[in-house]
Amino acid sequence: MAAKKTSVPHHVMVIDTNRCVGCWTCAVACKQVNNEPLGYWWNRVLTTAPNQSTSAKPPASDNIDVPFGTYPDLELAYLPVACQHCNDAPCVKVCPVQATFRRDDGTVLIDFNRCIGCRYCMAACPYGVRIFNWGDSTYAPGGVVGYGKEYWTGDRLVFTPERPKGVVEKCTFCVERIDVGELPFCVEACPLGARIFGDLNDPDSQVSELVNNGGGEQLHPELGTDPNVYYLPVARRVPGES
Amino acid sequence: MATTTAAIPVGSTRTYRPIWGWYAALVVLMAWGLAAWIYELHYGLSATGMRDVVSWGMYIFTFAFFIGLSAGGLIMASSAEVFGIKALKPLSRLGVLSAAACVTVAALMIVPDLGQPFRIMNIFIHPNWTSPLIWDILIITVYFVFSVVDLYVLQRHATEPSRWRKLTRVLAYVGLPTAVLLHSITAWIFGLQIARSWWNTSLMAPLFVVSAVLSGTALVTLLALCAERFGKVELSEDTRRWLRGFIIVSLFVDLFFVGADYITVLWGNVPADRSALNLVMPGGPWAWLFWVEWIVGGVIPLAFLLVPRLKKMPGALGLASVLVIIGVYAFRIELVVIGFVNPLTQYPPGNAVGTYNAQTTSFQFIGRYHPTWVEYGIIVGLVALFAAVVTIGYRALHVMEPSPASGQGRGRAAVETQASS
Ligand code: SF4
Ligand code: SF4
Repeated sequence: MAAKKTSVPHHVMVIDTNRCVGCWTCAVACKQVNNEPLGYWWNRVLTTAPNQSTSAKPPASDNIDVPFGTYPDLELAYLPVACQHCNDAPCVKVCPVQATFRRDDGTVLIDFNRCIGCRYCMAACPYGVRIFNWGDSTYAPGGVVGYGKEYWTGDRLVFTPERPKGVVEKCTFCVERIDVGELPFCVEACPLGARIFGDLNDPDSQVSELVNNGGGEQLHPELGTDPNVYYLPVARRVPGES
Repeated sequence: MATTTAAIPVGSTRTYRPIWGWYAALVVLMAWGLAAWIYELHYGLSATGMRDVVSWGMYIFTFAFFIGLSAGGLIMASSAEVFGIKALKPLSRLGVLSAAACVTVAALMIVPDLGQPFRIMNIFIHPNWTSPLIWDILIITVYFVFSVVDLYVLQRHATEPSRWRKLTRVLAYVGLPTAVLLHSITAWIFGLQIARSWWNTSLMAPLFVVSAVLSGTALVTLLALCAERFGKVELSEDTRRWLRGFIIVSLFVDLFFVGADYITVLWGNVPADRSALNLVMPGGPWAWLFWVEWIVGGVIPLAFLLVPRLKKMPGALGLASVLVIIGVYAFRIELVVIGFVNPLTQYPPGNAVGTYNAQTTSFQFIGRYHPTWVEYGIIVGLVALFAAVVTIGYRALHVMEPSPASGQGRGRAAVETQASS
């Protein structure tokens, strides 16, 4: 049993904000691979300033790509945000029916067949990444609907291309891909290679190096949610350089 | 205590003239609510004004409001027994009846808020004990059963005081903590959430309890005044004084708590807290909530309760009660909606709303919320249900009338006999 335990990977994603140019390719790729109806964004690329968590400047506008600050002291950086797959996830704690659950590999998933649609998880998530199916979904005109397949983990339906009304959904870490050894689609799609995915239990993996020695930071670490998504800050010491 | 004997024969044997017009109006409103719910079932929650940024709305704040009315009614009724406040005892049964009706309405209020109402049994099949919602459903059930049992016992006590005396007392002692717990757990649904700094304060449970006492007492006062107006019973001066006192004290404590919270945020000036508070402060887009809470539901009712010239006016107590209830409702709106409007992780372009509209962007940076007719319709229907339960319960159980054994046909004097027994 113990031997089996260590063979379970611990999936984490590292996002290098120094490489991100805010092109939204990951967000659009996510929409396509996950059949997200119009108005749904599991993954968003937020406009922010470098090291924003410490400087906490208010944004200059509520539109994307507008720099922070006042001329000539302008700053601009991007923060791609999807579900952070928290190890101590508030959404898992509040879900009254255990529809939202955490797998041993750290992935937080939602059972489409069990969710009662109370939306308590949306109130509890600090990152605002959950989407509710308010009504009948609209798909992109001319787009192919339902090219994805249902995906079950155990007896839990964690993805279905045609959405039922009244349940909550969010980023799944592309569970159907990582379970067969592929990368999440946003990682593959990012033209700048800003997204790195891997196994934190493997000390030799690139993500282990970046999280342990590369200065990977979690979003809102003060909340104790312990996300499995790490961000490499724009200004940082690169290992090996001095 | 003035003992003018009004020559109105009252007793449990009294029959009421049916008020068909009133019942018909209530049935129409309830049917309207049901129709709105069927519409919502068909179109999904997109029929409401809620979207992904403000993802809880009118159902939830009205739910919290009715929980408060309910807990307050029972706290008042039980305190009468526990602390021996004789002047409030004639209102015990009315208080418990309204508590039972309010908690029923509150529980039903959750159902239209669910995206998958027909899966509600999952709550009992797969309960997650770390969720405050499960504990809330548990306490709501316990509380509902308790208030029905309590009403039954009080009813028996009214006819055979000696036999049911002890149980009445025991239930009053149990009722007080149950009501406090009901409201505290409801407060913790919000207060425990680290994602919303607007909610995340240990003051939440105490604040909910005192606003419950405030709005619950005001509601029982209103019902008692209606009973006086339509039901030919009279409230003694002493009873009025106690009701007024309850409202004044709880209103002061309520405003004190809210004010203390404001001071903490203003002084600390933490951006996330401050941007939420700025929305309700004068000048912000939700400032009307501030005015309703502090002026309409605070200063004006206090004037009608305290200023000697105003408080002698007929209807002063009733008016103050109505205003206080409006103020507490505004507080509930403020609590729920403002918690959502400014999300913690708030950078451009904001959150996706989750529905598609060709005319506007799919993102909201600052959350917006306007309830639709569906939400209003369902709420109005459930309020009509409350009115129907109280009217029928009032008439069937004769809740305001003295026991026939202690004072058949002696009207007002009889009310007071019961009060002092
Ligand atoms: S980011 Fe939100 S939805 Fe994702 S695991 Fe954390 S709390 Fe849950
Ligand atoms: S909306 Fe669904 S997943 Fe979210 S807390 Fe409610 S039942 Fe759980």
